[in-house]
Amino acid sequence: MTAVLKPTLARCLWVAPAFAALAILITVAARSIFGMTPVLQESTLLTVAYIAGGIGFIVGIGGFDYWFTWMKGGELDPNDHSQHGARSWGDYFKFNTDHKVIGIQYIVFTFIMFLVGGMFAEVFRSELARPGQQVLTDQQYSGLISQHGVIMIFVFMVPVFAGIGNYVIPLMIGAADMAFPRLNALSFWLLPVAAFTLLSSFMFGSFDGGWTGYPTLSEQSGYGMTLYQLGIQLAGASSIATAVNFLVTIITMRAPGMTLFRMPLLVWANLATSALVVAATPFIAGAQFMAMFDREMGTHFFTVAGGGDTLVYQHIFWFYSHPAVYIMILPGFGIISEVIATHARKPVFGYRAVAFSSAGIAILGFAVWAHHMFASGMEPWLRVPIMLSTLLIAIPTGIKIFSWLGTMWGGVLRMTTANLFAIGFIFTFVIGGLSGVMLAVVPFDVSITNSYFIVAHFHYVLFGGSIMTIYAGFYHWFPKVTGRMYNEVVGRWHFWITFVAMNITFFPMHYQGLVGMPRRVADYAPEFAWSNMVISLAAFVLGASTLIFVYNMIHSARHGKKAGANPWGGLTLEWLLSSPPPIFNFPATPRVIGGPYRYGEEGAKHAIVPEVEPATVETTV
Amino acid sequence: MKTIKVLPLALLGTAVGIVISLVLIFTRTLPVQASAEANDIDNLYIFFLGFSGIIFGIVVLFLLVAVYRFRARPNDEREGDNVHGITWLEVVWTVIPFVIVVLCAIGGLIVLRSGDVEAQARTKGQQIHVLGYQFGWKYAYLNQDIDLKDQPTLVLPVNEPVIFELESNDVIHSFWVPAWRMQMNATPGQVNETSTTPTKIGTFEIVCAYLCGVGHTNMNSALPGSIIPKVQVVSKSDFDAWVTKQKAEAAKAAESSSAQTTTGSAG
Ligand code: HEM
Ligand SMILES: [Cu+2]
Ligand SMILES: [Cu+2]
Repeated sequence: MTAVLKPTLARCLWVAPAFAALAILITVAARSIFGMTPVLQESTLLTVAYIAGGIGFIVGIGGFDYWFTWMKGGELDPNDHSQHGARSWGDYFKFNTDHKVIGIQYIVFTFIMFLVGGMFAEVFRSELARPGQQVLTDQQYSGLISQHGVIMIFVFMVPVFAGIGNYVIPLMIGAADMAFPRLNALSFWLLPVAAFTLLSSFMFGSFDGGWTGYPTLSEQSGYGMTLYQLGIQLAGASSIATAVNFLVTIITMRAPGMTLFRMPLLVWANLATSALVVAATPFIAGAQFMAMFDREMGTHFFTVAGGGDTLVYQHIFWFYSHPAVYIMILPGFGIISEVIATHARKPVFGYRAVAFSSAGIAILGFAVWAHHMFASGMEPWLRVPIMLSTLLIAIPTGIKIFSWLGTMWGGVLRMTTANLFAIGFIFTFVIGGLSGVMLAVVPFDVSITNSYFIVAHFHYVLFGGSIMTIYAGFYHWFPKVTGRMYNEVVGRWHFWITFVAMNITFFPMHYQGLVGMPRRVADYAPEFAWSNMVISLAAFVLGASTLIFVYNMIHSARHGKKAGANPWGGLTLEWLLSSPPPIFNFPATPRVIGGPYRYGEEGAKHAIVPEVEPATVETTV
Repeated sequence: MKTIKVLPLALLGTAVGIVISLVLIFTRTLPVQASAEANDIDNLYIFFLGFSGIIFGIVVLFLLVAVYRFRARPNDEREGDNVHGITWLEVVWTVIPFVIVVLCAIGGLIVLRSGDVEAQARTKGQQIHVLGYQFGWKYAYLNQDIDLKDQPTLVLPVNEPVIFELESNDVIHSFWVPAWRMQMNATPGQVNETSTTPTKIGTFEIVCAYLCGVGHTNMNSALPGSIIPKVQVVSKSDFDAWVTKQKAEAAKAAESSSAQTTTGSAG
């Protein structure tokens, strides 16, 4: 019985509905007092219920307990670690402040969302397998592609990197935890709320304007569109809070001796990414607030009939969403640097160039947003500067690719599954980068924008890019997280099937777009029949290959060979700890004495972890 | 002992890349070129395929050779070379992409500029107001005084400039004619201009490229049962005949409707 009073999911089950009900009551009361008709305005009541219910969920899980106690003037023990670390698997379902627990919560939750988003894709690929419409209505089709995009971007791709960063970064910089552990936990628990908000919109016919949700179509949509706007704000809030946390952690909590240029490149990449998130995400939150006010409060930011401007939405949207594509790849670049250096037994080639190119991408990334709008009817003078800046951003991207090749060259390449994914990533990402350069060139872009060529481009960079890096990272740190080895044979099958199927799925889309197949359509001209059939079949194989991965992870986590502290012979700090690492990370503050990639140097070390009695709690706070 | 000559390999990569480029270029599939701009844009695309194939060839060759040459044997405990970078090499691979993107920029600017110049010269041609709506297009020939309604066919004379003024009265649509390599959004609340010169007689697809609601899929003249008529480009004389016929029909319709309103108000 006490479970419903303690901070648990059981408490959420009554607190969240209670908050929602209270909000509805207050709203109804206010509406009748002020004589607003109808008093029971359905969309208004739903919106306040969703917002209050979301807050209620966080309250229920215990997100505010510490602050409530503080406000009440209650007893607070700064050394109270009762919410830190997982001692049983039940702790993963609770509010926990340990960055390692939060990292796993993030990774598992977002990966489930990846499976959900992937299922949507399989459903609409079965519609597209044959000409004509057999499986879905137009409305359902638009709903599914919109959900697919939004779930993949906002509750998988962006937060999964936050999850990997959460687990690895404090270890890599020799910190005991993130700078703001409670904020960290709060950021994670916002995600299920965001996902619930987005997915539950199916009850109201889903949102159906694509992942971009442009007005004025969004004004016509059913109530699901408001939930899209709300869901993105929630995911955005989570992502901003995490980025602030990363920034403060990386800047202030590095172990003694870890200068900026001794930081592993994953840390550099996350530093650049977090700066991007903090600066860019408020724009999408703002755009969604305004669009939501238009729908629910009768404002006219974007409603043309009321004097608003739809083009403004596009500018604000892409001012976030272009940086967002780098938010979804920069941390992946960081992973690739770690994986290739470790498995090639060689220092990263051109460390500073790789680090600075992340920073360069982050800065330039703010000057290219309008390349998504070449055919939007925007100010014509903007085309040329945006074309030039977009072309320029390809250079730091190229530098990274060549640096990874240089890292492999003259190394001793251990062909682990992690390394296979890193190498496969280079192959596929180059294709996506090259089509990106083509799209930067205005006259060419205008001739095929909004076609399947665009779909091909961004799946090459997001699946062939980001997802390959995510898999590489999962395999690389799996032994560290679970203390066991994954199965290499199964891993290799996973790699090859994924790699081949993804190329067959996405490569033909270039041709479809060039010949004239628009995106976001449920049916197509007969000439595209066979190519779509091939794509759909490959997409089903691609989906199935994910299950191999899930099997490998679950089975190996329980029955895999014991891994030991450092199965790959990595030099960075996380490999100096046991696998899985102790609850409070380092027994004593580590000291960094050299660069992170001193492979091939006789007996070289990156850092030293002194062996001090682990019971000295002071040093771990 | 690990040294593999990098320069010959780069040359080999270039050769492989050129083969890939040529394959891509000769197997390229594009819609017919039916406008004055199409050729320029396709040439840009061929240039893209050219350098893309070469870069891809070089990267993949180095990747494969590295995997083949430097892979660890079983129980291989060796470490890699302790090399942290080679400055001249890094400069080279920064400069080469830079040169490529500069070439892209130059190519893009030339094509963009010539398109703009042509667009500016198109002050005299057909001026068409295109209204996008859910779900179809309406056309008004501004300098012919023709106003077409109810899923009309867009008929245009060959080799004469056309200026489109796009507008929408509901949501964003996008007017795409792949054979002309031309696309522009029809956005509510503003007039977007674009133009072209059709150079081929025939019928061409009109595709709505921006998601505009439940009828979006069908706003594509290439679909078998589509309600959207394809654009018809005809000879000048056919066009003149068509214009005369449209005007006559419009006059007749105006007459009968004004007759109706008169009887209506009389009754
Ligand atoms: C070499 C660097 C890149 C360049 C020059 C580039 C350029 C472009 C351009 C010009 C477009 C607009 C196409 C259009 O809508 O007409 C585009 C679309 C897109 N790019 Fe890239 N891109 C690059 C890399 C990336 C990366 C690394 C990602 C993500 C990981 C990415 C994700 C996307 C997405 C998601 C879209 C489509 C958005 C939509 O309309 O739904 N791109 N890219
Ligand atoms: Cu972009
Ligand atoms: Cu449309």
